[in-house]
Parts: sequence; structure tokens; C-alpha cells
Amino acid sequence: MKVTIPPYLQKGDTIGIVAPAGFMPIEKMQTCIETLDSWGYNVHMGATTHSNSENYFSGTDEERLNDLQQMLDDRNVKAILCARGGYGTSRIIDDISFKKFRKHPKWIIGFSDITVLHAHIFSRYKIASLHAPMAAAFNDGEFDNQYIHSLKDALSGIPSHYECAPHAFNKTGEAKGELVGGNLSLLAHLIGTKSDIKTKDRILFLEDVGEYLYNVDRLLLQLKRSGKFDKLAGLIIGGFTESKDTERPFGKSIYDIIYEQVGDYHFPICFGFPVSHDKENYALKIGVEFQLQVQSEKAILWE
Amino acid sequence: MDRKTFLGATGALIGGFTIPFNKSFAKDGSEVITIKKPPYLQKGSVVGVTAPAGFITHEEIQPAVQVMQSWGYDIVVGDTIGKKDFTYGGTDDERLSDLQKMLDDPKIAAIMCARGGYGSIRIVDRLNWTRFKQKPKWVIGFSDITVLHSHIHRNLKIASIHSKMINSFPDDWNTAQPVQIETIISIQDALTGKKMSYSASPNPRNRQGVAEGLLVGGNLKTLETLSGTVSDINTDGKILFVEDTGEYLYSIDRMFWNLKRTGKLKNLAALVVGGFRVKPDDPGEEFGKTIEEIVMEKVNGYKYPVCFDFPVGHQVNNFALKCGVKHRLTIKENEASLSEIL
Repeated sequence: MKVTIPPYLQKGDTIGIVAPAGFMPIEKMQTCIETLDSWGYNVHMGATTHSNSENYFSGTDEERLNDLQQMLDDRNVKAILCARGGYGTSRIIDDISFKKFRKHPKWIIGFSDITVLHAHIFSRYKIASLHAPMAAAFNDGEFDNQYIHSLKDALSGIPSHYECAPHAFNKTGEAKGELVGGNLSLLAHLIGTKSDIKTKDRILFLEDVGEYLYNVDRLLLQLKRSGKFDKLAGLIIGGFTESKDTERPFGKSIYDIIYEQVGDYHFPICFGFPVSHDKENYALKIGVEFQLQVQSEKAILWE
Repeated sequence: MDRKTFLGATGALIGGFTIPFNKSFAKDGSEVITIKKPPYLQKGSVVGVTAPAGFITHEEIQPAVQVMQSWGYDIVVGDTIGKKDFTYGGTDDERLSDLQKMLDDPKIAAIMCARGGYGSIRIVDRLNWTRFKQKPKWVIGFSDITVLHSHIHRNLKIASIHSKMINSFPDDWNTAQPVQIETIISIQDALTGKKMSYSASPNPRNRQGVAEGLLVGGNLKTLETLSGTVSDINTDGKILFVEDTGEYLYSIDRMFWNLKRTGKLKNLAALVVGGFRVKPDDPGEEFGKTIEEIVMEKVNGYKYPVCFDFPVGHQVNNFALKCGVKHRLTIKENEASLSEIL
């Protein structure tokens, strides 16, 4: 099956904003809304962005499902930006109908918990999507930084071209393949389900936040033991921020842990790529063919 | 095709009768599950103590060693005891070689893991099971040791014991609380071949029914990280038990979704939910569902019995369970019991 790239956006197009997982107060989406507006897009706020939910979620499963479903089905909505991650996409993924979305694909934007949507959509329907900053990333004066800009460029169809500083653990080489990946915990959580991603001949990127060091080791072993690295074309390691250690120190740094698990493979590896839960988070088009060049002086990823 | 196949015994002869040893509802009818029980222990049997995951000191193993000696067993203390490589009981090579020696040593009748922590997954693929398969023995532990139980059940079809480990024996037997003594005695009972039978306090959220099947399970997070690997558990036709500790409710919810979405809840005979010591929600991030609600919404479409509050988990009332052995779960309004059956 050939990969479908949703149409890029034109000025005047509408972007829908939903919260398919955790709750977020609408005030925190304000800068994002204004920025999208300044880029020339109309913004359509879904019901879950101004819910009166009192608990963790932005609404009940049904409310979150309906909101996302409407955005997927509404032909006027050309892209769906998820306001935040958190947790909750797994709870509704099997109830979403992708029927209309498949006929009229549109960009789905987000990361973290939204990895579930990316993985599901690409592995089942081969439709490209955007692993990119969400609403909170626009706040604190960051609405004009290069990472937010990369989202703007991606939406308007400018081919991505990213450079990244060298890292001592990098493995030089070149790779070409469709880009897949996202949050390590979520990708592992999807293994064995129908949303699981295939990695053969592809470039895989991984990031995570707030995980225990031992757990990152265990998650990588799960990827390894389920064959995800066997025929990989290239690997991109993003930020693993706010990692936690156990009372008895694990004794290795996060990149030591990762290198130990993947360093023996022959594919090129780029460490420290700006994809993370911090502001360093370039928009990455999942499912689109990329080239990765890891050289001693820098690493480049381009469409 | 969802053909329910009755798979009879192969050579389970008791009193001259061939009795059904186990049955399994294999999806394609191809899987023949015959679980081998290692020989039970006698006075004079040898128990090996090893640390395949976290480290432990010589001093810390003494209370357990003395208790097991009082049961009439000789104790072989593995090379990993007293070793320390950060959190591990030695390097991967050291832990691997210690466990391998114990698996291979024909004199050792049971291997008691010192403690869990993290690390079994790092060595499981390098273990050689040839001799263990020829001469099975009881592997004992829980938490991180779920890796070994699941791997052994899936690949070697040999029963094992999910129970407390060396680090859970009381420092002083005389002042230990009764339930702690009972749980330790349950390990001895399991090792000597007593039929296990437990009851749980009936939880009003239990789903009633009676079911029989091989008992499998362990630590939920560990089971999730085995998904899609060669150690992944097959739950069809079985009684699955799960427990966990220190996880947020949302994370527990996500793990039960993983069970559901990997098909592990679909063909169960029954579900047994042990202790879940929950990490409190962060302020403003209240998950708003109880463990019972989290579980019941996943098994809504199925009819098998569900038992909550079963005494297994990271808690004092953590009783020995024989993985891979056939059990009957009985859930009635005023009764929740799990018994080993032939």
C-alpha cells in the first residue's frame, strides 16, 4: 500500500483543536490559537477544549471520541491539532471510525499520548501524520521559535530539513526510509495490538519523559525482543527528559542505557535529535520518506 | 475458526486411571498444552538461592536460609548473593552464569530467587534451558521474576511457583505476624506437593461463576513488557492473575488496555486481580476510576468470573501460586476461592 500524504494547508483553511486525552484549560491554548490565526488559518475549537471536566480527562470517553470523530469527519477541517497528550487515546482508539478520514485524509498533529493515533493511522491506513508540538509549546513566549516554525512549515508543505549537532554515541552512515516513531512507552504499549508499528526498512525515532532509567532499559529490550530493530534502516534518539532513578542508583546515564541496547546494530544512529517533551521538538512527518545522514560533524534528516 | 478443542492428558496416570491432565481452548486446535510439574521436594532436597535481578547481601538471606533449612532442605547459596553491580546482583554475565548453574545442577530441586527489582529480562534470552527441560525444577519468585514464569510457561511448559522470595521472609520468625508466617508456609506447602487452596474476602464487584484452567500471570507491568516477545504469555482458556505496585491509576488502566488489545482477555477462563498498590494521583490529575472500574470496563463483553482482592501481590498477604497448574476459581456471593485441582 502506498503512503497517502494528506493535502497541505492553504491560507484560510480550518484547523480543528481537540483534547483526546488529558484535560487542558482553554486559557493555556490561547497563544496557540492566536498563532495559528496569525498563520492565516481558521481555528475550530472542539467540545473537549472547553469542557467542564473535573477529573484527569478532558471529557468522558464518549465525549472525547465524539469530538475527535466530528473533526475527522468534517470536510471543512483540514488538520486536527491535539491540544495536549497525557493519557487517554488508547481508551477510544478502537471506537474511532476512520472511514471518512481515509477518503479525505487530513493532518493529525501531536505527540506523546498522540503516538497512539500516529501509530494506528500509519500502520493500518498508511496515512501520514505530524508528530509535532502541541498547544502548551506555544506558551511562555515560545510561539515563534524554530520548533513551532517547523510545524508551520510542515503544514504548508515546505519539505523538512533538520540538522543536529554531533554526539559521541552517534553511529555514522546513511539511511533512507519512511519515518515512524514517537513516545517509547506508548510504542511499547502498542506492541502486539493492531496499532503496532512495523519498522522494517524504516527510520525510527524515539523520545520519552519522566521514565525510570530501568524502565527505559526494559522498554528498549521489549522493542529489541519483538524484532523492532532487526531490519531497521536508521534510528533517531530524541530527548529522554526528566528521567528518574531508583533509590538504589541504576548507575548508567540514559544515553548509556540506550547505546548499550542498540549500539551493536549496523544502522546509523543519531543521538540528541530535537524531538522531545522539552521545547526542542521539530515537526516530523510520520510515514513520509526521509533521508538520515549521520556524519562525524553533524547529522541531517531531510525529506 | 474458533474451534474449542479438548486436549486430553498425555500420561498423567494416577491410581491406574488416565485422567484429564489439562484442557485448553486453542484457537486453531494446534496447541497442545501439557505442563510438566517438576518433582516436589523431600527432606534433604537442595534449594538454590540466586539473584537474577536486584542485589542482596549475605546477611539479608540468613533468615530465609534458616527457615528453609528447618524445613529439611539443604541450601546452595549462589555466587550472585553478596554481589552488587549498581542495582543488580552482579553483572549480566554473573547473574546469567549463577542462574544457569542452578538450572543445570541435577542436585538442585528448586531455585529460590532472592528478590525482584529489575534484571531478569536482561539475561532470559541467553539462558540455556536444555538441562532444565530434561530435569525440571521449581523456579520460585514474583515481580521481576514474572519474566521467568512467563518465559518458562510459554516456551518450556513447565510449572513454576509465584511466591514471596528470600527478602520477604521475616527477620524473626517468633515475632512475625501470623499472615506473614502463613504466606511463607504456603511456599513450603507448594514445594512439598500440597494442593493449594485459598480464599479471598468476597468483593461486591466480583463477577460470579466457576471456572477451571491453568493458572498463569504475575506482575502486570512485567507482562506488558513481554508483549510481542518470545516470552509473551498465552492466556487462552486459562485463569490469569495480575498484580502491581507503585503505578499510577492511569498507567494501570493503560496496562489493562494492553491486555485487552493484545487479545489476552478475550478467551480467558477467569481473571484474578491481586493487590494493586496504587501511586496516588498528582493533584489536579485525579483519574476518577477505581481498580474495580478499570478492570470491569475491560471485561464487560466477556462472561467469565472475575475475582478482586485476591491475596497475591506486593503485600504481606502474598501466597504461593503454582503457575501452569490447573486450578478452579469459584466466585459466589459469599465465596471467592481458588483451588488447585487434578
